[in-house]
Amino acid sequence: MEGLFFNINDGFIEAVVRGYKNGLLSSSQYVNLTQCDTLEDLKLQLSATDYGNFLSNVSGVLSTSIIESKLNDNLVSQFRYLKAQASEPLSTLMDYISYGYMIDNVALMITGTVHERDRSEMLERCHPLGWFDTLPTLSVATDLESLYETVLVDTPLAPYFHDCLSVDDLDDMNIEIIRNTLFKAYLEDFSDFAKTLSSPSDEVMCRFLAFEADKRSINICVNSLNTELTPEDKLKMMPGLGRLSNPAFQHQMVHSDDLEQLKIVVNSVGEYKNFFDESNDKSMEDHFYEYEMTLCKNAFTQQFTYSTIWAFLRSKEQEIRNIAWISECISQNQKDRINNYIAAY
Amino acid sequence: MPEEAMFRSAEMSMIQFYIPAEIGRETLYSLGSLGLVEFRDLNSKVNEFQRSFVGEIRRMDNVEREYRILKNAMDRRSIEMTESFTGKNEISHANIMSTSQLDEACSNAQLLEDRITELSTASEGLLKRQMDLKQYQQVLNSTDSYFDRSYTSDLINLNDANNNDISAEDGDVSRIGNFITGVITRIKVPILEKILWRVLRGNLFMKTTEIPEKMFDPKSKEFVDKDCFVIFSHGELIMSRISKICESLDADLYFVDPDHKNRQNQKVVVNQKLTDVTTVLENTDRTLETELRVVAPELDAWWTAIKLEKSVYEIMNRCYYDMSRKCLIGEGWVPKDDLPRIQASLDEMSTRFSRISNSASGGNSDDSIPIIMNTIETTRTPPTYFKTNKFTQAFQAMCDSYGTATYREVNPGLPTIATFPFIFAIMFGDMGHGFLMFLAALMLVIYEDPISKMKRDEIFDMAYYGRYIVLLMGAFSMYTGFVYNDVYSLSMSLFTSGWKWPLEWKEGDLITSHQTGVYAIGLDPMWHGAENALLFANSYKMKLSVLIGFIHMSYSYMFSLVNALYFHRPVEIIGNFIPGFIFLHAIFGYLSICIVYKWCVDWVAIGKPAPSLLNMLINMFLSPGVIDNQLYPGQATVQVILLLLALICVPCMLLIKPLWFRHTHSEKYISLPNGQGDDHSEGTNSNNLLSNLHLDDSEPVEEQAFGDIMINQVIHTIEFCLNSVSHTASYLRLWALSLAHAQLSSVLWTMTIGASFHFSGIIGIFFIFFMFALWFILTVCILVVMEGTSAMLHALRLHWVESMSKYFEGEGIAYKPYSFATVLHPDQA
Repeated sequence: MEGLFFNINDGFIEAVVRGYKNGLLSSSQYVNLTQCDTLEDLKLQLSATDYGNFLSNVSGVLSTSIIESKLNDNLVSQFRYLKAQASEPLSTLMDYISYGYMIDNVALMITGTVHERDRSEMLERCHPLGWFDTLPTLSVATDLESLYETVLVDTPLAPYFHDCLSVDDLDDMNIEIIRNTLFKAYLEDFSDFAKTLSSPSDEVMCRFLAFEADKRSINICVNSLNTELTPEDKLKMMPGLGRLSNPAFQHQMVHSDDLEQLKIVVNSVGEYKNFFDESNDKSMEDHFYEYEMTLCKNAFTQQFTYSTIWAFLRSKEQEIRNIAWISECISQNQKDRINNYIAAY
Repeated sequence: MPEEAMFRSAEMSMIQFYIPAEIGRETLYSLGSLGLVEFRDLNSKVNEFQRSFVGEIRRMDNVEREYRILKNAMDRRSIEMTESFTGKNEISHANIMSTSQLDEACSNAQLLEDRITELSTASEGLLKRQMDLKQYQQVLNSTDSYFDRSYTSDLINLNDANNNDISAEDGDVSRIGNFITGVITRIKVPILEKILWRVLRGNLFMKTTEIPEKMFDPKSKEFVDKDCFVIFSHGELIMSRISKICESLDADLYFVDPDHKNRQNQKVVVNQKLTDVTTVLENTDRTLETELRVVAPELDAWWTAIKLEKSVYEIMNRCYYDMSRKCLIGEGWVPKDDLPRIQASLDEMSTRFSRISNSASGGNSDDSIPIIMNTIETTRTPPTYFKTNKFTQAFQAMCDSYGTATYREVNPGLPTIATFPFIFAIMFGDMGHGFLMFLAALMLVIYEDPISKMKRDEIFDMAYYGRYIVLLMGAFSMYTGFVYNDVYSLSMSLFTSGWKWPLEWKEGDLITSHQTGVYAIGLDPMWHGAENALLFANSYKMKLSVLIGFIHMSYSYMFSLVNALYFHRPVEIIGNFIPGFIFLHAIFGYLSICIVYKWCVDWVAIGKPAPSLLNMLINMFLSPGVIDNQLYPGQATVQVILLLLALICVPCMLLIKPLWFRHTHSEKYISLPNGQGDDHSEGTNSNNLLSNLHLDDSEPVEEQAFGDIMINQVIHTIEFCLNSVSHTASYLRLWALSLAHAQLSSVLWTMTIGASFHFSGIIGIFFIFFMFALWFILTVCILVVMEGTSAMLHALRLHWVESMSKYFEGEGIAYKPYSFATVLHPDQA
């Protein structure tokens, strides 16, 4: 039934997203890219794709960072175009998507301030999708509470800070804890929102968010293995959704003392079985990306859902990572590792 | 005499060029200006960036990028780039750039780019400096007004005395007092206020004034609205926090002296500096502008030349470049008739350049650089190329948009020139409306040269492109309007009417007219206003549309015979054409004859009821041999025979072709070992220079199986039989639209201008005046434009579906020659 009325408001957007999706590089195009000898060759190859002449106005010598920033501009403009077209509840969904980037930006700004980095340099590194007007003023204050009271209380992130205002000392570790606590609150809130969407958007979105949460849980546990974080602290950061979220799993995970114990817990979930497989030079991160791309690919098989936007965004980000990787390999002349990209389409 | 290539597409030959590498660029340039060769990609297996001339293309790309920078700079200063109208004659091999000229153009572009970028950066820097000073000036002015008020002295004096001493030595000048002044983008004012309020818990006093003029923003390089602000607060730490917050929001802070006298001094200094900077800025801008103005008239010509160069290199990339880098080998399709032209141009190139090289080397006349051109045999399907002129172009485009004709098959574009406007006119028949349409198109035709140079928007461009179609549509509509005797829904009595009304009658009487003769041509005007006028027009137009439809389909069907004869496919004639022909004519041909026959008999005079043809046709199928009302003696027998003929044709059509195929196919397997199979393959062709290079990626030969043929034939048979019914019915749209058009125009007439004729005197004058305007506007908008569009779409459908489905294969590939015209104007290709 939902499909009946979907196209009234969202048909155009879905069509546009699917058009964008068809513009994603195919595996044969990736093969062409990997054959390039210089970045100029890469530019020529990319000009035959959907990116067209996006590099044609660049003067001087190409570098990976220029290519990456241009690719990101492309993604951001596509996202903004979609957002400008979106109506409720899709626009809220897209807001939620950008909150994730906001959290990253906030963490980045705070870290930068703590390390007394240059403000404009930090602002440049912030993700444009997570930009908000008062972001630059984050560099003013030095403790979280005053930050919250002066700046963050106005942002949509304010409710997520509920659990982390007790942190008193801003150091790298604490910022990371704040970030993860924020993400926990954010993911839980997002998933509550996703559940209110019409079927099948809710189903697919929850699948994505569950994986996102699991990914974070695993990362938290892996990264905190040899720190003095207590299991209780870890538990506070673990999102309450996802396949690893049931208390038994969580209990086992936070009490694991080494990687092997963690592996046993994670491997008990069928789909996550190969995450710790380190053959073929693949890191855990690569496995995450690979799994996410399968999720995205599957998401595109569903019609009449908002989740295609999430899937597209993630696929495009992966594509940017891939191109950046390839161009980095080309410029550093490391042809033997050039094939470590993750092509899904 | 060269073939016109209108009835069938032009004959194409596959040509191989063997061009010495030294003059490869020049030769391709001359071929590009001719625009007659469609180059085949001989390096399709080679990656784009691994081809031979990538470096040159990149260089051209770079020059184009530099030109774009120049263009942007011009746009920003709204300097028009004068477009040079390079006609076709001007782009010829005569004005090809030599390599040194090309190098010069490249370095020139580089120089210009450097110069322009340098000047732009300088001007931007100055602009920023100017903005800074202007803002300072504004801040000084606006703070003046605050300090003049009485309460400010209290605010300043809040400061304790020693603070002044310390801050006097302080490097950061803006923090000297207990106030901060600066300039911030207007949209950020509320954010700043809110954050400051929160940080200081309300312990501040803030004042903003809007700066009337827009200020330059160095970040976005635009001019934006900005505000001056003054913030009073208290305490060193707080002041430093305030300034930090302001800076984080990209505000510019300025030091303003609290003392009035010092402030006046500051003002003088700032004004002085501002004048200086403004003068320098103006100078820089003027230099930049002069520079750009010098470039402006020539840029377009340069750009054109570079675009052409780039396209030449792109074509060179498609050619095979031999290992020793001595020669380029290109392959492409050329219309057979144009071979001499190409040969001549190649000869000219070769003599010209051998002369140059001879004079350089000391004049050995035998030492020429030959360009070899070979026609090679190939099994590939040649592209379809119709030669058009400005008149036939639009008609051809209309047919091509349905599908490109198969090589050498009958071109549907040719008959369309006559049938399309005519079928349109049947639906649009009105002399007045046709005349308006004709006039509009005539304007486009008469002034086509000036209009072609105009910038046209999409819809107008469509009208302009189809101006000859519209012209013919208007003219034909005038003719059909004349036959229908309709001028804006009124009739003309050009000849004496064939009917007479009784001379005397009383009001309220039902009167009948009686026939006295036959109207000379077209519809008798006396029908106009008669009670059964609609009944008559309906019956007449309905039968007319069936007749027209039958004729249109029949002659279209004849083209399939023409095609079969031309391609020597006897099985097509026996298995498809003849059964189909009999089927169509036994049913609908018979119906058409009956229509005409029925018209010829005066049914009232012989005192018989006129037989209904619709029932006759239905009964012919449902109860063969039974006749309700006889049309002519022996009708039952004729109809049964016709029905049997049509029924026999169905299995014929279904089976002959597949069985024939099966028969010949089994023979082929026997004949193959005799060694005739390889005769036409490219491997044995002695002319083909590339044959031993195995570059060839021949088209895969489709092996047809009996099953495929059978299925296709079944589909074809079902389609044909059903379509002959539905297509005939489809032509009834001629009747429906023509009737709707006539009725609509008569309604419009009576509702607007017709009503105004009832008034007389002054009121009448005004009424007629305004009603005419209303009537005319509605006539043009609704009846001519809207109805015209709809009738045109229906006519288009009748051509694409009803007519072209009878013979058109449309499996060709369009001919896309490499020509400079398409390189420069890709949209007009």
